[in-house]
Amino acid sequence: MGEGYQPGSRDDFDRLYRTAYPRVYRTLSVILRDPDEAEDCAQDAFVQAFQAWKRWRPDAPAEAWVHRIAVNRAISYRRRAKLRSVGEILRRLGRPAASVDPAEAATRPDLLTALRNLPPKLAVAIVLRHYHGYNNREIAAAIGVSERTIGTRLRQAGERLRAELDAAFSLEARAAFPSDKSESYAED
Amino acid sequence: MPKTEDNPLGPHFTYRLRAALDAIQPRFSQPRYLQPLGARPWRFAPAALAIGIAGMLGLTAYAATGSANPAVWTERAKTVIEAPPSPTPESKPTPPQAAPPPAPPARQAPTAAPSERPESSSSPEPRESPEPSPSPEPSGDHSGSGGPGD
Repeated sequence: MGEGYQPGSRDDFDRLYRTAYPRVYRTLSVILRDPDEAEDCAQDAFVQAFQAWKRWRPDAPAEAWVHRIAVNRAISYRRRAKLRSVGEILRRLGRPAASVDPAEAATRPDLLTALRNLPPKLAVAIVLRHYHGYNNREIAAAIGVSERTIGTRLRQAGERLRAELDAAFSLEARAAFPSDKSESYAED
Repeated sequence: MPKTEDNPLGPHFTYRLRAALDAIQPRFSQPRYLQPLGARPWRFAPAALAIGIAGMLGLTAYAATGSANPAVWTERAKTVIEAPPSPTPESKPTPPQAAPPPAPPARQAPTAAPSERPESSSSPEPRESPEPSPSPEPSGDHSGSGGPGD
């Protein structure tokens, strides 16, 4: 369970960083739209984890522990960014809106866009479950909520993803997000 | 740790999600936790030191003047700086002339003045009065000492 990591070991933390940093970065890139913000939050999360590395207990996966730190930082960051963006919107009132680059819009992956439009807690549940392969119990331990809450979030995320995605993916997603099988998450 | 075999969402979603996220490659950057930990806190050390010194000066000035008004502090500082030219110990030879000038600054003088003032004020007059009395009037002393002896 502890992947051989020893709390406080510098070599083990270096190994954890090499293994987990790209994965943590990808998780944060779903929460935060800007790559620089994702990198900044991921680096700060590892700094915080390094400072608490001696207190880490091997009864939980180290990567999930770092994920918890990183996700909390990213959610706080996004909350502050949203407040800043409200101020920015107020300052730009009356000015013409910035146009979206058609080339960028055409190449933007729909799935990532839909995930980024979800509330961060829902998007994180989806990514931890379906990208990192955690089960509900591991996600609950990583995020710090109950397994029931994780099941609820996964179900809500599936429903909202289905509403967000285009018709082509919706046909696929209807099979993937069956509303009458929402309890399947809770049975994990 | 990864566990994907019993995915209730179906394999297509997981495949698409993995393809989308695997395409995101983090840029190589130096791990921030390798930077010295002391660099960040000490960045604000000069400001903290300046604030601490200013606070101590303010408290000292408040304790010396009893007022929180900086104008009073400056006024008090001026009086302290001007006070040394009129020290009381040197005025012993001319008691009647030297006594009036030091009186006003004595009430406004800082903590250094009161410590010297009791010595100078008490030494000249009270000690002189008992000394002359015993030598010129020995008989008066006998009569005086006889009184209390009764």
